[in-house]
Amino acid sequence: MTPPPPAEPVAAMVRPASRYRDSKVNRDLLGVMKGTSIGYWALLGLCVLMVHVAGGIWVYQVYKGLGIAGYAHPVFWGAYIVTFVFWVGIAHAGTLISAILFLFRAKWRNSINRSAEAMTVFAVLTAAQFLGIHVGRMWKSYFILPYPNQRGLWINFKSPLMWDTFAISTYATISIVFLFIGLIPDLAIARDRARGFRKGLYAALSLGWQGTTNQWKAHNRTVLHLSGLATPLVLSVHSVVSWDFAVAIVPGWHSTIFAPYFVAGAIFSGFAMVLTVMIPVRRIFRLEAYITDYHFENMSRFILLTSIIVGYAYLAEFWTAWYSGVEAEQSAFWLRAFGPYWISSWVMIIFNGVLPHILWFKKVRTHVPTLFVLSVCINIGMWFERYVIIISGLSREYVPAVWGTFTISWAELGIVGGSFAFFSMFFLIFLKLFPIIAIAEVKEIAIHERAHAEEGAH
Amino acid sequence: MPRILGIYDLPGKTAAAITQIRARGYTEIITYAPAPFTEVEDAVDPKPSGVRLYTLIGGLAGVVTGFALTLWMANDWQIAIGGKPFSSIPPYTIIAFELTILFGGLMTALGFIIKGKLLQFKRHDVYHPRFSAEDFGVVVTCQSRDVPELESLLRAHGAMEVTLVES
Repeated sequence: MTPPPPAEPVAAMVRPASRYRDSKVNRDLLGVMKGTSIGYWALLGLCVLMVHVAGGIWVYQVYKGLGIAGYAHPVFWGAYIVTFVFWVGIAHAGTLISAILFLFRAKWRNSINRSAEAMTVFAVLTAAQFLGIHVGRMWKSYFILPYPNQRGLWINFKSPLMWDTFAISTYATISIVFLFIGLIPDLAIARDRARGFRKGLYAALSLGWQGTTNQWKAHNRTVLHLSGLATPLVLSVHSVVSWDFAVAIVPGWHSTIFAPYFVAGAIFSGFAMVLTVMIPVRRIFRLEAYITDYHFENMSRFILLTSIIVGYAYLAEFWTAWYSGVEAEQSAFWLRAFGPYWISSWVMIIFNGVLPHILWFKKVRTHVPTLFVLSVCINIGMWFERYVIIISGLSREYVPAVWGTFTISWAELGIVGGSFAFFSMFFLIFLKLFPIIAIAEVKEIAIHERAHAEEGAH
Repeated sequence: MPRILGIYDLPGKTAAAITQIRARGYTEIITYAPAPFTEVEDAVDPKPSGVRLYTLIGGLAGVVTGFALTLWMANDWQIAIGGKPFSSIPPYTIIAFELTILFGGLMTALGFIIKGKLLQFKRHDVYHPRFSAEDFGVVVTCQSRDVPELESLLRAHGAMEVTLVES
């Protein structure tokens, strides 16, 4: 046996970068962050402009009062709360993909979890804006926090609005922690390859990450525990949001089905938003090798499943109203389908309960343009679902003398439009600053595949 | 003491090398990996990470804080609402639940930072960007007389390179 060649001194090891083989996954996925086109800046500019316009409208609303937002008797929860619930719903797919699919060891989540987690954080931040926007005296919003004020008075923990405060702030915090912990190994990859300002940014954000055994062990355990904590959290958040309504005695709201119905709707709309955003991202950045049709197909299956649950809830609500024999409930649901908001109701029923059934066909599930159109329809349908529940409920309560009709105002349209720009703005900035696909997790699969191929060859 | 670094391309080879090195009695082993591989982590140290204790402490602190906060506040300045008792456990359970998750999650993150030694910003002298590409590194601290044995051990398991790092 020939003796092994002698070990090289350390000076020989520290070689120029060209001496080692950088990973193709690194190059491809860090490549997304490089360079910006005119289209990118135009889109970002448009979003920033819309956010400023919405901000201007909001300042005017603070000055004039909520009257400009169409808030008038009997509807005092208008499009702002509709949009709040919509964005909280959108925030659900991220945690579902990251936490629940992680616990089920569904490896296909690896290509889409980062973007979904980022969407979760931005959607929660967008939703949180509306809690401040929809109150009359926003400068007193801090009253919802349990702080020791000079009167010795405390907040009322029996109110669902308090549960909401705790649920949403916990969800925002845990989502940010989850996103950040997952990003650390990828930030270290970016740090090792970046220069200038970016190197400093990634070096600071990746902390002391070197990928040692201890660090990976702690990382795995942390992700596992955060997933375990986030799974009941994600189910609780939209349940709590649904109780904002279900605990009230408004006809059409006071129902025990609300929590599961809202959670299913949230996952449904969240997956639709992931599709709406990721289909163009995949196309523009040529990520077909990482986000495959298989990913879209799996997401479509989730959409189909949750659509069936949501569709069942729609039917069950009508059934319960009829079977209850309560006149106010029966009238609320009759008016929902044939009253002044019938268009919104039928948009909701058709877009959320009927249209997704085309996903029973594999041809549809793998046809990306159809999926994109369907996902946009579902987003519209889910916004209208909240519109129908909130507006039709409030405008038709028990006493016909206090019935009214709500029409969305220009101020609400501006701010609701601004919320979409706010969400998109963060997402666009994230795209260029942070890896949009979890590099280390994709690499884990790639290396395993390489190992299997090599073992097979021997 | 000299350290010897072996570079591998696959987790199976890395884990096999580490297992044999540990069987030979070497205990000071540091491994660098581009992604999480349980076989490599278990070969170095099969014990689960201590992060779980942090989660437990955080979760327990959260549930206690949640109930203590709501019960104390409701009784500190009593306001009768809807004829319900001041100490209403069902609604307070929601607050306690949310704080369990919040404190548990934040403590888990703290545990990760402490157990992963993430506040030690200075990277090891042997750290190389290739470990965030697709290569695995195994660093073993040993006596000078053990260098030839370790070198052949590392190479026997398919090390692409073996380097002596003088300390």
